[in-house]
Amino acid sequence: MSNDVIFAPLKFRNLTVKNRLFRSNVSGRFDNYDGSGTQARINWEESFARGGVGAIVSSYVPVHIRGRILPNYAMVDNDDKIPFWRAVGEAVHRHDCKFIMQLSHSGRQRDNPGVENFRQKGLSSTNKKDSFHGLLCEAMSVQQIKETVRHFAEGARRAREAGLDGVELHASHGYLITQFLSSAINDRKDEYGGALRNRSAFLLEIIQAIRKEVGSDFHLQAKLNAVDFGNALYPWEKKGNTLDEGIQVAKWAEEAGVDAIHVSIGSIFPHPLLPPGGLPVDEFNWWYGAIISSGVRGYMNYTVCHFKLLRPILDFLWNRTKKSHPVEAVSSEYCREVKKNVGVPIINTGGYQDGKVIRRVISEGITDAVSIARPLIANRDLAHVLQSGRDLPAKPCTFCNRCLLNAPANPLGCYDVRRFNGDHDAMIAEIMQVYSPSQFSEQHVSVAGSSKE
Amino acid sequence: MPEEDSIRTGEGNLTDYVYLSPVDQYQQHFRRWLLLIVLLFLALFVTAALYYFMSDRTRYYSDILEHFKYGSIGSEPGGTIFTQVGGVLPPYLVFKTLPALCPDKLPGGYASLGLVFEPGHELPIGVSRRWRLGVEQVGLNCAVCHTGTVRQSADSKPQIVLGMPAHQFDLERFFRFVADASLDDRVTAESVIAKAEEMGDRVSIVQRLILRFFLMQRLKLVTVSLQNRIGPLLNGPLPDWGRGRVDTFNPYKAVQFNWNLKLLPHDELIGASDFPSLWNQKPREGMHLHWDGNNTSVDERNLSASLGAGVTPVTADHASLQRVHDWIWTLPPPKYPFAIDQSRTARGKDIFAQQCAECHSFDGRKTGTVEDIASINTDPYRLNSYTYALTGNQSELYPDSPYRFTHFVKTNGYANQPLDGIWARAPYLHNGSVPTLLDLLSDPADRPKQFVRGYDVYNQQKVGFVYDTPQARQEGFWYDTTTPGNGNGGHLFGTKLPLDQKLDLIEFMKTL
Repeated sequence: MSNDVIFAPLKFRNLTVKNRLFRSNVSGRFDNYDGSGTQARINWEESFARGGVGAIVSSYVPVHIRGRILPNYAMVDNDDKIPFWRAVGEAVHRHDCKFIMQLSHSGRQRDNPGVENFRQKGLSSTNKKDSFHGLLCEAMSVQQIKETVRHFAEGARRAREAGLDGVELHASHGYLITQFLSSAINDRKDEYGGALRNRSAFLLEIIQAIRKEVGSDFHLQAKLNAVDFGNALYPWEKKGNTLDEGIQVAKWAEEAGVDAIHVSIGSIFPHPLLPPGGLPVDEFNWWYGAIISSGVRGYMNYTVCHFKLLRPILDFLWNRTKKSHPVEAVSSEYCREVKKNVGVPIINTGGYQDGKVIRRVISEGITDAVSIARPLIANRDLAHVLQSGRDLPAKPCTFCNRCLLNAPANPLGCYDVRRFNGDHDAMIAEIMQVYSPSQFSEQHVSVAGSSKE
Repeated sequence: MPEEDSIRTGEGNLTDYVYLSPVDQYQQHFRRWLLLIVLLFLALFVTAALYYFMSDRTRYYSDILEHFKYGSIGSEPGGTIFTQVGGVLPPYLVFKTLPALCPDKLPGGYASLGLVFEPGHELPIGVSRRWRLGVEQVGLNCAVCHTGTVRQSADSKPQIVLGMPAHQFDLERFFRFVADASLDDRVTAESVIAKAEEMGDRVSIVQRLILRFFLMQRLKLVTVSLQNRIGPLLNGPLPDWGRGRVDTFNPYKAVQFNWNLKLLPHDELIGASDFPSLWNQKPREGMHLHWDGNNTSVDERNLSASLGAGVTPVTADHASLQRVHDWIWTLPPPKYPFAIDQSRTARGKDIFAQQCAECHSFDGRKTGTVEDIASINTDPYRLNSYTYALTGNQSELYPDSPYRFTHFVKTNGYANQPLDGIWARAPYLHNGSVPTLLDLLSDPADRPKQFVRGYDVYNQQKVGFVYDTPQARQEGFWYDTTTPGNGNGGHLFGTKLPLDQKLDLIEFMKTL
């Protein structure tokens, strides 16, 4: 399929990607506790590059220790991390794949803040705890805001120095920048709160600081919510930003100098709509304990999930807004509107796997590219499968989200044992391939993640 | 701030610190608030429950006449929900529905017992309502025994006379019915609620629960207990009290002092006598009150009478009683409602002065004193039912309070009563054994041996109520003077007068 839109190169201002398939940012606790990288992380990222995607948006990379979601995530908070990220970039580049570092700050949304942060509340735009886990936080001072803007800029500089192909700002899914953008969260009375322009100031200052730090010839994209859906879980919560507001933020980001917009939805993570698919209560019950003491609602969430009689409550709350959205291409209709209003290329995420769907959204002008996380965890070579003319791998991702629920406690991978014909050992063996080769093995050849054909 | 935590080791106490993370602090704070809120709600609930179950409130009638008829004197059950004290009637909803639930036991309803109903009132005169122990209760007040009716003829409308003896009211049958019906298997929480709602009452959920799980069981127990105490009076082989009469002191012995009536001599349990009138109490202060003159204090007599209605020392509403006291203190006797022959009254006045005034006019020498039984020679049962032992017990009521009884004495006769409003106080003598004044002026041998009492059509010729017509027989109580306690002998004064002078005398007495 030589004229397949999926495999047409995508040109950004400063970057050209060989196809329209991006590995979306997805993490996994593979690194050292202190945020220094490991061979496992290199193996992890390289496995996707080998699978044929055009670009990889890195794992969630904190720009500061206080902005970490979980321990064992490689960070970019110091120049001493540059060599590691250079190694990651080189490994990915060997497969003609681009690597875009996602610069991130959790704000209050720290699933497990780790021992370094244990005695501190998360930083945020507000003093109000998050609605899902009850994660506590304190409103940042203007001084802290300026420092954090600086941390982002420093992170971008380090990414460039590491030879990476660009950076992405994680401004969606309820992390720190969303906490400023969202009307459901930001209750500040100063110049960073109130009107949308004020709520966007933090994001725009980061973009400007990065441009100032790395110049205009380094790829910079922003992952933004088209819509917040802040009341998707609890109906009594505020809705947050509307589509119009999401579009406006995207336009301002473009004006400020981003080269692309990565469109998503959801003001918390996980969110009933994103990642799309199921909420496996068994996995919730087994692994939620890893983060139970992080927030003041942890025990309540665990209790509701632990007792079967109470599970219908969780099922009802989690699933009530899903009925009006497809699992595949969950945010595409919102993305279409964003695309209409901005000039820079658009990347859309949420439930992409099927070649037909991907071709449709690109052909219809909904987006220029798609980013994929969980279907690629299941089939690292999804790009090769699509390129071979098939629309789905033999064992496609079922969108069960077992990978999601395992992530806080276990190595990231596909935990849907049905895809392994019920063979638990085979499933674990594939998950553990991320550790091979190890830092000390002689052969640095990863075989992780080939699809089960 | 970290908390110190001592760990015991082999070498002694090792002090460590327990730190709190922000989440711990939040949860500690949250739990404190939660506890506070729970305690607050608990306190609110307890306060509401205390108010609900401990408040004692009743309607205040500013009009003294309404107060007399319907106001509470504290005779409703009181005390605490754990220890109910006083009261002789079941709660409002039960009381109201009993006749409908047991129609075979009282086909004509409460009115058939002589209780007087007024338009716009669902309860009869003499029955009050009061919120006590978490329930709307009912009780008896002074008016139940001291409100009479008078009719000119069988087809005329009854006139209600407040303060008049309730000659038409059968108190004994009333008590019998209430007790008997309360214990009837048809009377349950469910049937009471259903019937009350049918009658237009709205029964709250709390009231339903109280009735269902608590009140009906208690009512049955209390009724059985009451029956055990006064059963020998109501159900024993004793003469019926009949309409217009009450055995004042024997129920008193059982209810207030828990005497075992079965141990008392049979004759002592026969003590029924007429309800007295209530008017004109001021000039009576200091006189020997009650038929046997056993007390010279109007206040003590009033309070003692209220005990018969179900009041106890801890449930008495003294302020309410005081209002009644103040009203009857100067209440004038009712005017004779029919024509009076003025020519006879003038002559009758002289005869009264000669024959009666010494003992029966307010300024009479012997008025208000006790006439020895040997001298007056009327029926002795009422006199003998009040005993020295009871006098001693009565002095133990209201100890250490200004209400303590200090005036009760045992006498040996019957008191000479002032005759104000005597026309409305028929039948006559203490036990109501003589139906009219004219009969009273007859030799005992000529007085009616049997007659009807409780029929309210007035006999203007003989001055008293009609007692010998078929209609009277149908509505009234058949009174037999040969029954123990019902004797119509004695009081021979005036019996020797010529008939014409007797007629003059009774014509004059209509004016008293």
